[in-house]
Amino acid sequence: MNNRLKVLRAERNWSQADLAAALGVSRQTVNALETGRYDPSLPLAFKIARVFEQPIESIFSDSGA
Amino acid sequence: MMSEIQDRPRSLAAKVGLTVVLAGVGAFCGYGMAQLFKDHGAPWPDVLAVAMAVALIAIGLMSAIVLFTRPSTIPKGCGVLQIAVFLLAGVMLLLPMYAPAAIAPDVVFGGIVLLLATQTVANVMLWRRADEMLRQVMAETSAIAFWALQTALFLYAAAERLGMVDSISAWALMGILMAVYLLASIVASARRGIT
Repeated sequence: MNNRLKVLRAERNWSQADLAAALGVSRQTVNALETGRYDPSLPLAFKIARVFEQPIESIFSDSGA
Repeated sequence: MMSEIQDRPRSLAAKVGLTVVLAGVGAFCGYGMAQLFKDHGAPWPDVLAVAMAVALIAIGLMSAIVLFTRPSTIPKGCGVLQIAVFLLAGVMLLLPMYAPAAIAPDVVFGGIVLLLATQTVANVMLWRRADEMLRQVMAETSAIAFWALQTALFLYAAAERLGMVDSISAWALMGILMAVYLLASIVASARRGIT
């Protein structure tokens, strides 16, 4: 699965630690999400969408699509 | 409200200093192991257990150095609990071999039970406080270690029943289990970019 987390975070000038704090996860988890090493659970994906105030499908896309 | 502050990278001097400290910890561990192994008569299960103990303690110490020297903007998260688990595991592996020289075996065993209870509490707290990715890494570590160990144990048990290999002690099996679990942990962590 692909995502635009790094771009969205950079647009807001947030650090990985800032985003991790907003999501209630570790900085390593944010890093793994951004580098595609970890796909979030559905609840975490919804939380990410809420933090960035965007629909899930504009943040995540199926790499096979 | 987000701080809009970027993680401040370490200065070159801080990076060099940290590298020197970590290299020092590595050298100390290597020297310690060499001292322990200079008695060539040590049975291989003891050598394996000492190697695992030193590895666990070294990982714990290096994690502590990294945890307490990184920028304060990065939350410490479950780091302290992880360090406690590593250090306790290392100490518990050393005690049955070296503590009886100074303390009665039943007292040593009582201490091990106490440390194991403490480590169990730390492990439960770690699981409860971990985020979803860390929990997945822990679950994957357990799965990898379980399948590797049960496969190896079945093959060994079959060979032993057929009289093809000698029996080995529970202490030796424990050392092998720790080695496999540590390797599984490294593999599961590396897959998520945790180093």
